[in-house]
Amino acid sequence: MADFGTFCLLLALVASSWAIIASYNGWRVQSGELVLSGERAVYAAWALVLLGVLALEYCIHTDRFDLEYVASYSNRALPRMYKVAALWAGQSGSILFWLFILLSYSAIVVLLNRRKNRPLMPIVVTTLSVVSTFFLVLVNFMTRPFVRLSFTPVDGNGMNPQLQNPFMAIHPPCLYTGYVGLTIPFAFAVAALVTGQLGDTWFRTTRRFTILSWFVLGTGILLGGWWAYVELGWGGYWAWDPVENASLIPWLTATAFLHSVMIEERKKMLRVWNLSLVIMTFLLSILGTFITRSGVISSVHSFTKSEIGPVFAGFLGFCVVVAVGLLLYRLPDLKSEARLDSFVSRESTFLFNNLLLVGAAFAILWGTLFPILSEAVRGVKITVGAPFFNQVTVPIAFGLITLAGICPVIAWRRASARKLLEKIQIPFWALVGSAAALLIAGVRDPYAIVAFSLSVFVISTTVMEFYWGTRARQKVAGQAPAAAFLSLVDRNKRRYGGFTVHLGFMLIVVGVTGSMVFKQEATASLKRGQGFALGRYTMRFDAIVRQDDPNREFMGGRLAIFEGTRQVGTLTPGQNFYKAGQNPSTEVDIRSTLRDDLYLILTGFDPQEGVYTFKAYLNPLVNWIWIGGAVLIAGAWFAMLPDLRDRKRDVEARLREIEAHAA
Amino acid sequence: MPRSGTWLLPAALLCAALGGPPSRAADLTPQRQVEGRLMCYCGCADLTVRLCTCGTADGIRGEITRRLATGETPDQVVAAFVAQYGEQIRSAPSTSGFDLVAWVTPFAVLVAAGSALLFTLRRWEARGARPAPSAAGQAAARQVDAAPLTEAEREVMRRVEREIKEGL
Repeated sequence: MADFGTFCLLLALVASSWAIIASYNGWRVQSGELVLSGERAVYAAWALVLLGVLALEYCIHTDRFDLEYVASYSNRALPRMYKVAALWAGQSGSILFWLFILLSYSAIVVLLNRRKNRPLMPIVVTTLSVVSTFFLVLVNFMTRPFVRLSFTPVDGNGMNPQLQNPFMAIHPPCLYTGYVGLTIPFAFAVAALVTGQLGDTWFRTTRRFTILSWFVLGTGILLGGWWAYVELGWGGYWAWDPVENASLIPWLTATAFLHSVMIEERKKMLRVWNLSLVIMTFLLSILGTFITRSGVISSVHSFTKSEIGPVFAGFLGFCVVVAVGLLLYRLPDLKSEARLDSFVSRESTFLFNNLLLVGAAFAILWGTLFPILSEAVRGVKITVGAPFFNQVTVPIAFGLITLAGICPVIAWRRASARKLLEKIQIPFWALVGSAAALLIAGVRDPYAIVAFSLSVFVISTTVMEFYWGTRARQKVAGQAPAAAFLSLVDRNKRRYGGFTVHLGFMLIVVGVTGSMVFKQEATASLKRGQGFALGRYTMRFDAIVRQDDPNREFMGGRLAIFEGTRQVGTLTPGQNFYKAGQNPSTEVDIRSTLRDDLYLILTGFDPQEGVYTFKAYLNPLVNWIWIGGAVLIAGAWFAMLPDLRDRKRDVEARLREIEAHAA
Repeated sequence: MPRSGTWLLPAALLCAALGGPPSRAADLTPQRQVEGRLMCYCGCADLTVRLCTCGTADGIRGEITRRLATGETPDQVVAAFVAQYGEQIRSAPSTSGFDLVAWVTPFAVLVAAGSALLFTLRRWEARGARPAPSAAGQAAARQVDAAPLTEAEREVMRRVEREIKEGL
């Protein structure tokens, strides 16, 4: 099976290389047959890589420990679910998985565009196949998943214990699907630049792919936070680790693009900027992979570092040169007579939103890479950790939140400052009222006051937009409130999906602020029967818990949790000792409510003395982060649903193509 | 917005660069302050001593407590750890010498880009020439005009209806 997998990957490399040659030459000599052959080669490469993936999964599930990859990342006792996830637990497997997602996207793009966007497709296929071929070269020659050992171990090393968590089984596929999906708008942007078809086709065609990638990447980031929260055992969800940053940076630039592309749709301006954003986002996603894989910056995620860093750097350099070269080449054709009716307009606020989003992306990238710069300049490697990122990003985040409040109420083209002030009057007083209420309630932390009251401001402006829109439908179309509301959101899914995303974002801001600013903690070393208190909770250490299964041994302590004198539950934090021999992993236990989370960790124990040390955190409002994430995802889904207008536009574009072809 | 408003964004960003967000250090005990300024060197996670739950972090916390008890200031305690373990133990760059570049650059770039954006927007605004609203937008405006509304309601609804019709 291993030889079969190797063979499939080699054939896939041939197919993908042929896709580049056939598509590019097909476009150059205008040969429909060559173009078609290139597209079929994409399907072939996809099928072959799928077989390669299945071959590796088969080897993992049948405990083929003569393979280096299987011996390194699996073992006999590993549960089935994690054997599936072992595909992305190590480097060569995760690059193979990445490649599979990229080829799946490519095959879908080819399938969906078999009758439309024909002038762009050969270069789209060429671009996608260049990226696939790069990854195929990696899995065939540099980081091969089917390498045999000179001996067959009795059992494998098993998976890193921290990765044995259900969230971890979903988090990497989500991140990869998001990262890789950003290649699609990039490929269309390159095709627009190469062919000179610089109209709105490239971004209209890829809009759904962009939103899909954006929200899947966002979901991946959230799941990563959730995983860190329940698995790493330090009571937080975001540590500004280089690899976390690497996923956030392209997400921020993609968010900027989703906003600024609306200006291009409406006013046919910012064409260079939008193409630059799409190119930048793709390059940053490759840079993210480079950071994850190269180990160039030390990171908690360095499960899989190796020597492929320089190759990634070379590929990144190649992409930068080609993309920037193309952009410069087409610059004269892209110039548009930009006009602005008024400084006070939706266009301006979107541009400031872009400034802050790209500025935040730059600041995070700068902080992530600064240790390398410092080492190069001073010869001293330094750490750039959470205090730096908090200090730098919080003012930018406040600016973004304010804009999220103003944007929805400010009109396109021209808004009078007086009318704008009238419109934000109620939200403004809600802001002042909430700040006053917080002060009266005894909150003195300026971060918390600013963040909470700005969130109230944004939530009020957004809710008012829904309200005014419903009123407008009610009065104009004579509908009942519920029908008016449904017809309103149904008629413009993108607008109201976007507003829902803003609401989700605000809930996340509330959760992050609450859990960062008002976090409380306590540590206690206890014998059975003893207790300690934190916030409104009292905890009593009742029993030692031991559990044994073929994969691991669990050692923990059971604590009764009291609110006042009433017992509200029990928690059993502990540590897992994996039989494959790795270090123990912390297993936290959490009592979760909408108000706060009681988060318990067993930090150490002395079995002889019977003393167990527990650390407890009280994390207020942390659940609102996950709820906000769910609202954000729902909003993004809604924005992606097909619109009648889009279908009409597609049909018209298709008719135009047919007419052009006939002519 | 008056033209003088153009200085607002660079000024706000400059304030952020110079002052940053209000420091919460005042809320923390010296022990917590120092714990937050040092990274745990256990190697199991990139966390500050304050957050890391491993045995190494316990040891560092004990050392901080001892040093503070002897009358050392938080700065002196941090300096002692830096002297022993190198610059990498700091959780963020210092605010002197080359490290200052780390702090200033993001805000300097934002101020420069923000100023350039303001300048560009003013230039675009000066070109003016408002294109006529689309046919769909005009139709929406007529529909709103015909409804029985107050002037304030009419203004908001005209905008909402027009934007929906134009797909934005």
